[in-house]
Amino acid sequence: MKNLTPLTADIITNNLVPQKFGKRGMIWTGVLVAFCIVGAYAYFLQLKNGLGVTAMRDYVSWGIYISNFVFFVAISLVGSLITAVFRLANVKWSTPLTRIAEIIAVSAIVFASLIIVVDMGRPERLLNLFMYGRLQSPIMWDVIVITTYLFISLLLLFFPLLPDLKILIKRKDLSVKSFGKFYSFLGSFWKGTRLQEKLNKRAVNILCVTIIPVAFCIHTVTSWLFATTYRPGWDSTNFGAYFISGAFLVGAGAVIVAMYVFRKAYALERYITELHFDKMGRIVVLLALLYLYFNVNEYLIPAFKMKNSEEAHLTDLFAGTYAPLFWFAIFTGMLVPIFILLFKRGRKPLPAFIAGVLVVVGAWFKRYLIVTPTLLHPFLPMTDVPESFKHYFPTWQEWAIALGSLAGALLIITFLPGYSPSSLYRKL
Amino acid sequence: MNNMKQLQYKLRIVILSVILILGIKVISFAQDSTVSTVLLDLKYYVSDQQVPYVMVKTKTKKERKFLPVKGIPVSVYLNEESGASLLGKVVTNENGEGKIIIPASFKSIWDSSSAFTFKATSEPDGKTAALSGELTIKKARLVLDTLNEDGARSIRVTALEKNGNEWIPVKDVEVKIMVKRLLGDLPISETESYTTDSTGQVVGEFKRDSLPGDIKGNLILLARTEDNDLYGNLLVEKNCKWGTPLKDNNDAYNSRSLWGTRYKTPVWLLGIAYSIIVGVWGIIIFLVVQIFKIKKLGIEQKI
Repeated sequence: MKNLTPLTADIITNNLVPQKFGKRGMIWTGVLVAFCIVGAYAYFLQLKNGLGVTAMRDYVSWGIYISNFVFFVAISLVGSLITAVFRLANVKWSTPLTRIAEIIAVSAIVFASLIIVVDMGRPERLLNLFMYGRLQSPIMWDVIVITTYLFISLLLLFFPLLPDLKILIKRKDLSVKSFGKFYSFLGSFWKGTRLQEKLNKRAVNILCVTIIPVAFCIHTVTSWLFATTYRPGWDSTNFGAYFISGAFLVGAGAVIVAMYVFRKAYALERYITELHFDKMGRIVVLLALLYLYFNVNEYLIPAFKMKNSEEAHLTDLFAGTYAPLFWFAIFTGMLVPIFILLFKRGRKPLPAFIAGVLVVVGAWFKRYLIVTPTLLHPFLPMTDVPESFKHYFPTWQEWAIALGSLAGALLIITFLPGYSPSSLYRKL
Repeated sequence: MNNMKQLQYKLRIVILSVILILGIKVISFAQDSTVSTVLLDLKYYVSDQQVPYVMVKTKTKKERKFLPVKGIPVSVYLNEESGASLLGKVVTNENGEGKIIIPASFKSIWDSSSAFTFKATSEPDGKTAALSGELTIKKARLVLDTLNEDGARSIRVTALEKNGNEWIPVKDVEVKIMVKRLLGDLPISETESYTTDSTGQVVGEFKRDSLPGDIKGNLILLARTEDNDLYGNLLVEKNCKWGTPLKDNNDAYNSRSLWGTRYKTPVWLLGIAYSIIVGVWGIIIFLVVQIFKIKKLGIEQKI
């Protein structure tokens, strides 16, 4: 056992304020920026030549952009889980993870909003949605609820950040210099007076209560985009709960991945301990079992009935073209992580990290499987469409934009200050 | 001892069952692996509203059924196999079909001739042998007229064949007369098909009263030949106001409903949506005000 110096406020500050990037950090950032540039170029081509550059046609009109959108919305729910639910339940151990969860939530919801614009053939008409939208349309509900969730997530990131901003401004020597002015702009007025603390605490409490129903709304409404459409695979009353359980799972998986990376990159072993991996591992097992339960309901019950209209879709998933992807998503996204994390050894940092990566990767492909195969099996097939319309594989532009958006979200997570020293002082 | 015998007996049954299953499998595989030759068919299509085209079809016979063969590259020529006569090249799709539209560059030859021979060839590759097919077609067309005598509606179709510069009526051509519907064509009466008489004409009674048309009552009538040995697939279409006009369904959109316009949103939906929006955004605005309060407190503290 190492003989560690007791933690003091100064040590915590020194350890937790953002550090300058090392060589690995620069390479990581460079790779992400490169992905973003290629994605931006692909989007430029799409703007110039229209949505024809994608593989989306009359059958599959929602491709990987919408899969990516659903993935981002799902992952953004983690802010409400780790911060709000745990806070209201008086869970103390999650304190070092709250900032990580909030940043993941903000970056994911920002890119969910952007990717939906990317999916539009005429993005300059976005304003028309707000000016002429019909409130009867679930798409309008989604636009409203995403905007609302974005604002609430930003506020939930901002209020607890205020005391930390004071530290960051004071310790300009340690922070990334270009962010100094930004930190001053955001929080130079924070003096830490009793009244300021009181107002801040009350605001955070209100936010924690508000964000839970809004988070449930955002993903329920996203599921209704599908469930209100009469199509094989989407015609389900279970979709809201199915989506929310999946969202909590991928969010928790993403937090484990981020915990491991931050811990390694910034040597935070004293703050993000093995206990955190153990607890988060247990949560992931619980959520994966819950999601598995909804999957059984979503696939096994329709398969038991095997209605003519659903048969082609289901057999394509179970044993057809999409079978490898389907079983990959089920095993990678749920079964293997459950198996790893059920055991105490599996909840150590490295295996837990691997399980987290599997959850996130499986979740992305699961979203692809929810969106695309259904569109290829409409109840009423179109007549006289070219053969190519009946298949879908994304073009390089779609891949580049989707990967660019994922890289963009990771860039935000990389650059925003990920820890909350002030809340850790209070634990001393 | 008895147990031993029983065990041996069971073992024999298991071994025999395995042999039987494997045997059936081997036989069925042997049947499947029978090599069938690929057949190449040609079909010719012409209508009064489309450029004529040739359809090639590759298929093979397996277990007394024709199955399409995809991925066969086919070249189609007009009259002779030469580079100048090449109408086009196509690779058959998963239905074993490939379509070649007669190029505009063949217009002068097309207009001046009365008969053609389409020749299709496919080079041999590792999997299939060389294929060839031929289809000789006489140039013909159908003319569709509507008749309305004493309230009895009928359709007259005339089959005409090109002979030199003239179009002459031809007899004994089997014609189907139909009405175009959304997912298929509907015969105009119980008679499935008609055969032209010595004047090249056929008259079919239109028995589909009160068939829904478009908003003006238009129906699309059509007459066609199907795989005629001499003329191929001829098609003619004509609009006719013999349908029942569709009623304007605007009433459904003028009431407050989930499918109405944005000004016709149901009141209950407006109430729920706006109360949620106002409630949540009220909280957001309250919290933004708190930021300004905190800021004000900070500035006062500075002073």
